[in-house]
Amino acid sequence: MRVLAHVRDAGLRRALVDATHRLSAELLEPADGRVSADVVVAEAGPKEELQEIHAQARAAGAALVVACREPEDCRIASLAGADEWVFVPVDPAELAIRLATASARAVGEALPHETGQAAELIRYQELLFDKLTGFPTLPVMIERARELLDRRGELTIVYIHFVWYEKIEEIFGWQKLDDVLETTAGALRDFYAAERLGAESLMMVSHIADDDFILFAQIPAAAEIAERRLNALSHRLESFLRGRIEEAHSEDIAALCGIYVGASTIFRNLKIRTERLIYRAIREAAQAARGAEQWERARKVTDLKATLREGLVFIEYFPIIVTGTEAIYGYEALARGTRRELRSPEVLFDVAEEANLIWELGRLLRVRAVQGILHELGPDQHLFLNVDPRDFDDPSFRNMSAQDLGIEDPSRIVLEITERTAIKDYPRFQEYLAAFRERGFRFAVDDAGSGYAGLGSIANLAPDYIKLDISLISNIDSNFLKQNLVETMVKFAEAQNALVIAEGVERREEFETIRQLGVHLAQGFLFHRPRYAGIPKEAA
Amino acid sequence: MTEGKATSILVVDDDPSALDIVRTYLESRGYRVATAADGKEALAKLEEVRPALILLDIMMPGMDGWEVARVVKNHPDFADTRVVMLTARSDFADKQQGLSAGVDDYIVKPIRLHELGDRVERNLEAREARRRSA
Repeated sequence: MRVLAHVRDAGLRRALVDATHRLSAELLEPADGRVSADVVVAEAGPKEELQEIHAQARAAGAALVVACREPEDCRIASLAGADEWVFVPVDPAELAIRLATASARAVGEALPHETGQAAELIRYQELLFDKLTGFPTLPVMIERARELLDRRGELTIVYIHFVWYEKIEEIFGWQKLDDVLETTAGALRDFYAAERLGAESLMMVSHIADDDFILFAQIPAAAEIAERRLNALSHRLESFLRGRIEEAHSEDIAALCGIYVGASTIFRNLKIRTERLIYRAIREAAQAARGAEQWERARKVTDLKATLREGLVFIEYFPIIVTGTEAIYGYEALARGTRRELRSPEVLFDVAEEANLIWELGRLLRVRAVQGILHELGPDQHLFLNVDPRDFDDPSFRNMSAQDLGIEDPSRIVLEITERTAIKDYPRFQEYLAAFRERGFRFAVDDAGSGYAGLGSIANLAPDYIKLDISLISNIDSNFLKQNLVETMVKFAEAQNALVIAEGVERREEFETIRQLGVHLAQGFLFHRPRYAGIPKEAA
Repeated sequence: MTEGKATSILVVDDDPSALDIVRTYLESRGYRVATAADGKEALAKLEEVRPALILLDIMMPGMDGWEVARVVKNHPDFADTRVVMLTARSDFADKQQGLSAGVDDYIVKPIRLHELGDRVERNLEAREARRRSA
C-alpha cells in the first residue's frame, strides 16, 4: 500500500510514520511528484480545497482520509467525499485501521460499514500485548505453551495474584496503581532473569489491562522436591516483588499491595486436549493464589485479635499549628498496627471491618491516643481523634465521657468525622452529635472538598472545625481557583464560628498563601514529621 | 492588620470553648493573645500582658465585665487600652452602662468571627490614631 500525505502537523506526521510502518505501507510526499497512491491523507480545510484533493485522489484510484480537529471538519470532509476521517491527535493504531479501511473500501473489497481485513488484523495485534507492561497476553501464549508441553511432557504454571486495597485508588488515583504495576512487571522481568527459570519459560499477563501475571516455567525435579522448590520459589518471588515496590514507592504503598503466588504443574496427557489442560492448570494455579490470599486474610484477623487483646497499637501524632503564630494548637492522632501486615491504617481498619471488630479497635485507639500524649499536651492544646460514622452505632462510644478518656476538659478533644462510611440517617446522627456537644466535645469535618465530605455534610453537621482536604491545598499558591474556594470556605466558616484547618501543607509557598487567605490552622509535612510514635509500655 | 504580630489582646470569658475559638482566630490573624477565665484573673494578667485591647465577656461569675472595664479604664497605665464588651443583649440599658464604664465598643453574642475581626481591627486603628495625635 502507498500512502500520500498532505500533512503539516508534526504529531499527525509521527502517527502516520508509525501507522504506515504497521501496515508495511510506503509513505509518500506530495513533493515526490505524481506518484500514484492507494490512500491520500489530508488535513481538514475548506470544502472546495478538500473537493479538489478528493477529485485528484479519485482520478488516481486512491481513497481519501481526512484528519479533523472539530466535529464540523468531519461534516465538511464527508460532504467533500472523504472515505474515512480521524480526529487529531490520533493513536497510530487507530490511524492504521482507518487507512486500511479507506483503501479496502476504495477498491471495493469492503462494504461501507465494514473495516476490511487489514484493519481487523491491526486491531487484534493491539490485543496481543498489554499496553502497560508490554507483556504478551494469554491467548498468544497458549499456542507456545502447548508446544512446550508437547515437547517436554511437563509444564509448571505460576500464577501471581496481585491484590490492591481499593482505597488506594481512591486516595492516590489510578495512575499510582499503574505505576506500581509497572514496577511489578519490571521486577518480575528481573526475577525471571535472575532465577534462570529456563530459556523457554514464558511470562505474560493473564488478561489485557488486568493486574495478575502468569509464568510458564519448567521446574525439573522429582515430584516431592518439586513441590518444595515451588513453595520456595513463591516465597522468593513474593518478597522480591514486595522489596522492589517498597524501594520504588514507599513502605506505606507496599503495605497496601498483596502479592500471592499459586502454582500448578501439568503433564502431557494424550487423552485430554492440551489447551484445555493448560487452561485448567491456570485456573488451579489461580485458585491456589487466591487460597494463599484467604489464608493471609485469616492470619491478619488472628493478628488483629491479638493486637486488641494486647493493646499493641502505634499512635502517631501530627501537629496542627496556628497560622498566625506557628504555635502548636494540638495534635491529630493516627493509628497503626504494630504487626507488620497491619502497619498500614487502611489495612488495619479493613481487617477490623471484615472481622466485625471495628468498635473494639476504635475503643482501643481512642484510649491509647489519649494516654500516649496526655502528659505532654499543653494546657491550651487539643487532641484530634478520628471517628467513623459507624463508631456512633457503638453504644459505649455514644455514651463516652471525658472521664472515660481520662481527661478533665472535654473541649480539648476534637472528634474528626471522616465520612468514609456514608451517614445514612442524618437526623439521628445530628441527635448523637448534639449529645456529644452537650458533654463539651467538639467536632471537625475531615477531608472537606474531597469525595468524602461535600458541602452537604458541612451544612448538616455544623462542625466547629472544617478540615480542608489536601487536594484543595497542594499547589494552591499557583491555582487561583483553589484560592477562591478556600477564601470562600474561610468566610463561610467564620460566619458559623468555625475554624478552618488546611491539611497537607507541604511547601512554604502553600503555607504563605493559605495564611494570607485567612485559614486559621494548618497541618502538614512542612511543619513537622509526626512528633511522637510510641508503643504503650503496659498492656491493656 | 494594622499593628502586626506585636499587638497583644486579652480575651476574658468563662466559657473555655468560646475562649479557645476566639483566641485561635485572633492568633491566626497574627495577634498575640492572652486569655483569662474570670475578672480577677484578667486584672492579675494586665501588668504582664499589657494588652492593646481587651475583649470582655459581661456575664461572668464573681467580678463581672463592667467592673473589670471600670478598673481598667480608671487605671492611669491602661487608660488607652481599648475595651470591647461581649454582650448577649444589645438594649439601651447596656449601652448606657457601657458608656459610663468608659468601654469603647461592644459585640453582640452569638459572636461571628469575621465581625469580631473587623471590630478588633477598627478599635486598634482608632487607638493608634489617638496615640499618634496625642
